[in-house]
Amino acid sequence: MVKVYTIQSCPWCEKVKKYLASRGVNFTAFDVEKDAAARYACIKLTGMDGAVPVVTADDKTYVLDFDKEQIDKLLGI
Amino acid sequence: MGIYDFTVKTSKGAEKNLGDYKGKVLLIVNTASKCGFTPQFEGLQKLYDAYKDRGLEILGFPCNQFAEQEPGTGEEAQSFCKLNYGVKFQIFEKGDVRGETAQPLFKYLTAQKKFEGFDPNHPIAAKLEAALKANFPEYLEGDGIKWNFTKFLVDREGNVVKRFEPTTDPADIAKDIEALL
Repeated sequence: MVKVYTIQSCPWCEKVKKYLASRGVNFTAFDVEKDAAARYACIKLTGMDGAVPVVTADDKTYVLDFDKEQIDKLLGI
Repeated sequence: MGIYDFTVKTSKGAEKNLGDYKGKVLLIVNTASKCGFTPQFEGLQKLYDAYKDRGLEILGFPCNQFAEQEPGTGEEAQSFCKLNYGVKFQIFEKGDVRGETAQPLFKYLTAQKKFEGFDPNHPIAAKLEAALKANFPEYLEGDGIKWNFTKFLVDREGNVVKRFEPTTDPADIAKDIEALL
């Protein structure tokens, strides 16, 4: 499952979500401000607290940033 | 109408009368909500740590009006947002700070202290000005707030004594704060 960690009022998070949708990627978005478990999982993944958007498919490798090229590579799209 | 006549809302939705801050030195700042010119959050927190026991209060007003554009923050490549968990000073409800929809407090502050230009020696000044000219030329006109982290210093009697543009780092305000404490 592709996961996107986000916060509200984050333009880059919106861009990532729109981009994934435009590429037909099914994903689940988690708000790390509201969801403590997601915040913990995101910190564990990136080592950073509250830096978003983060995209991951395997909970091991990730892309932090709205970086289309890296996201394409990560997801193989 | 003075600064103590304004009522604002905290980030948790509670009403706060600025009259509660009578006798304090205030630094009122429009902050980036989450993204944007965020390194100044850290500098503001340092000021707060250094002077809060002597009577400084920092009041942060998050605003999204400048959020999506990132001219010359020194982190041009950054296209992510970082929550500011380390901030201990008071943050108020998100709202507009410029234009017709600006909160009354910011209309008052910008009427009290006019825009006198950016500090051309600051590393972001040229980039900020160029980005504004290219994207929001109207922002450069008049005395409205130009960008995130415009700072207004208020003395213990409620007088707005000084305005600092985003091109003044918080550390460089320390001497002005000390003079009022």
